[in-house]
Amino acid sequence: MSIVLDRLSKRFGSQTVVSRVSLEIEDGELFVLLGASGSGKSTVLRLIAGLSVPDSGTIQLRGRDVTDLAPQEREIGFVFQNYSIFRHMSVAENIEFPLKIRRVPAAERTRRREELLDLVGLGGLGGRYAHQLSGGQQQRVALARSLAHKPSVLLLDEPFGALDVKIRGQLRRNLREIQQKLKVTAILVTHDQEEGFELADRVGLMDRGALLEVGHPETLYAKPRTLFGATFLGAGTVLVGRARGNEARLGDLALPIPPEVEHEEGSRVRVLFRPEQVELGTAQPAEGAEAGRHPLGKGEIVEQSFLGALRRLRVRLPPIPGTRQAAPAPYGEEGLLVDVVQPAEEPLPGPEVWVSLRGWHILAPPRPRLLICALPAPAAYPPVLPHLVEAVDAVPILLAVDEDGDEKGTEELRTAVLERAAAGGSGALDGAEVLVRRGDPAAEIGSEQAQSLYDFVVLSGATGPVVGGLLDRLSTALLVLRGDKPTLQRILICTAVGEPGKADVRVGGWLARRLGAEVTLLHVNVRIGGLGGPPEPWVQSHLDRGVATLRALEVKSRSTIRRARTPAEGILAEAAEGQYDLIVMGRHAPRRGPLFGAKSADITLRILAGTKTSMLIVPADE
Amino acid sequence: MTQKTKPRKAPGEGSAVLPVSLLLAVLVPLLLMPLAAVFVFAFRGGFKDFLSALTAEDAQFALRFSLLIAFLTAAVNAVLGTFAAYVLAKYRFPGKKPLTIAVNLPVAIPTVVVGTSLLLLWGPIGLLGKALAPLGFSPMFAPAGVLLAHLFVTFPYMLGAVKPLLDELEVTYEEAAYTLGAGKWQTFRYVILPALRGGLFSGTLLTFAHSLGEFGATVMVSGNLRLRTQTAPLFIFAQFEAGNVEKANAVAAVLAALSFAIFFFLLRWSGPAGGRTQGH
Repeated sequence: MSIVLDRLSKRFGSQTVVSRVSLEIEDGELFVLLGASGSGKSTVLRLIAGLSVPDSGTIQLRGRDVTDLAPQEREIGFVFQNYSIFRHMSVAENIEFPLKIRRVPAAERTRRREELLDLVGLGGLGGRYAHQLSGGQQQRVALARSLAHKPSVLLLDEPFGALDVKIRGQLRRNLREIQQKLKVTAILVTHDQEEGFELADRVGLMDRGALLEVGHPETLYAKPRTLFGATFLGAGTVLVGRARGNEARLGDLALPIPPEVEHEEGSRVRVLFRPEQVELGTAQPAEGAEAGRHPLGKGEIVEQSFLGALRRLRVRLPPIPGTRQAAPAPYGEEGLLVDVVQPAEEPLPGPEVWVSLRGWHILAPPRPRLLICALPAPAAYPPVLPHLVEAVDAVPILLAVDEDGDEKGTEELRTAVLERAAAGGSGALDGAEVLVRRGDPAAEIGSEQAQSLYDFVVLSGATGPVVGGLLDRLSTALLVLRGDKPTLQRILICTAVGEPGKADVRVGGWLARRLGAEVTLLHVNVRIGGLGGPPEPWVQSHLDRGVATLRALEVKSRSTIRRARTPAEGILAEAAEGQYDLIVMGRHAPRRGPLFGAKSADITLRILAGTKTSMLIVPADE
Repeated sequence: MTQKTKPRKAPGEGSAVLPVSLLLAVLVPLLLMPLAAVFVFAFRGGFKDFLSALTAEDAQFALRFSLLIAFLTAAVNAVLGTFAAYVLAKYRFPGKKPLTIAVNLPVAIPTVVVGTSLLLLWGPIGLLGKALAPLGFSPMFAPAGVLLAHLFVTFPYMLGAVKPLLDELEVTYEEAAYTLGAGKWQTFRYVILPALRGGLFSGTLLTFAHSLGEFGATVMVSGNLRLRTQTAPLFIFAQFEAGNVEKANAVAAVLAALSFAIFFFLLRWSGPAGGRTQGH
């Protein structure tokens, strides 16, 4: 393994430019880091070179930890976008520079220099100066110079960025040849997708500081995991439907979901099809999967452009119920847009066309987004939090709510929050986005959630009124973390409130599986007037179904029934005996009428007040 | 197009006679005649008188002292100015902007004012002078004071010559040297310094030339002591006041000749054939 990056993070001020990047690169591999400008790809390269120092994480080159070494000690070669050829030195002197620094004897230097000049195809130009060379020649000099001291790793930062298209193609092939001939491990940074595809053994895709996907170019193109991957690596249409059984539903169209794509019943499913996977026809295609074609609907061609060998078409379909468009960006558009390419010599079909799919790909479900708020800001984060974030592979977003108004500057608060996050040590929160709001915590968390729709709201250091206020506002799961246990091993799911909910078992079970925790399913049998009777028969069957659901999620679970005067009493008694780390409760929609109003919140708050255990409050299914 | 029109001429294409003669008419009395006068008056009594005036002990001392001070000033400010330029160009720190203005200020302040403030600071009753006098260090009315004044007055020249080059030199050149294995010092020695050599050369010469001709600050801090702190410009002024016009003119002619030589080098160096333009 030539290059191993482990959870590398870098901030500039409060701006995270590289966020927990982990990567392993094989000997002799040419790895391309692909991303838009500002995605942090060049910073990763500079971190590897030692030109920039990471805030956390480690870098290994050839099995040697170089995280704390100066660039001079790393034995790397670096080609800059502007080449940075020393102007007062001739080409020969430039190439000999790293050898001169290493006190290589003159004869050996000359031999090596001539060898390199031949390698890059500049034989006989050693006497020239930079200003006497073309851009392409300067690039080759920079490459030769970076290879002179036989570095174990070659790093190239947009090496073809400043060249025109024709020379670029030629230099690309030369670089590939040289890299393979010398078997040097290389990382090349570029924003040019075509360059990445042509050169790379593997491509890493970066967006906003995070390394989203890594893979062979063809795999990444055909089977991206993320929406960004789907749209950045070429054109394509992404439609969002719903999972029903093992199928993704786009209106009437049902596409099987492959077993390796995790999905939950009723959740959103994103379906990608590339332009070349779409077929247009004038007649309605036969129903059913005739020759692997799936009819999508009838639409009209709204755009077409000639690209030489190919013709690009855009078709607008009428809206499909329960289906939303994610790409191409559906700005001001009610219908669905589908991009198509055809060989240019194929006749343009009429304005009305039938659209069917030859192939498709289902994207992985997005990582859950956690809105994390420790009160009062800036407070330390509970020790279990990093473990939780890693276990559910979440995107953490840190929210600091400043209650006292302008006591601290926003930047100051942001820095303090990042320090607290880093204090956890595990690095799970490194590079997290930090948001700062001012005002009442419940109101601010509520409106942040309403704006950005997180999957979980995680709260620590919260008091009863704040939790009560949030329960009135939130329609997402709320996790209230308390105590300083480093893990959540025992989970109590209370199906006591109202109907034994499905959502609490499902969400609690999902969390338990990720955490590797044990689950106890509890029902409280409410005694009336001190008389104890056997529980209703439906209670046992609900519990059995709950346990079955958990078993399907591969979670170790059992069920129990308690008798108590009120549900809260029963839950508190079980919580006191069972030494649970987390109590999961279902919750119905926020206060509706005067009769049932405040009931669920009341129970939640009583349990919150009666224990010191963390709680997860899950909204009920609609 | 059959209509005959007088061909329009772009500036620079027409006859040069009129504008050039106009320019000369202004420049001859303003610049050229005074320059010539120095030499004319110096040699009016013949070469022998010129030589004897020049070889007089006080004239010899004034010239040698001026050259020595100019050498020292140029040497110290070459290092100090380059260092200041490097720090100001490469680092970001609070108060950088006011500091940049402050180090450039000496060109804007009248030199007599500089002399006065130096006296007030280092003089026998000055802030620092009072504290240092018991230790046997009193730079005012001594060669050290002259050097101090010259360092102050000429400081911005080196900075002005080197800093633009450093600003232009992208940080990737340094970084490239680091990745190739060069340490900080090697990078400075082999990569940065050679890129600055044009600015270093012209900055040093400018500093030298200005030091050679410095008058205002020197006259205040030196006390104009004959054979002790009297520089060549002070000598010229003193001799002229005393009525020894030939003596004054002889030294003035030497100073003028030195200045011509320096500016000749400067023009050669920074001209189109010079080393500075190489690589652009």
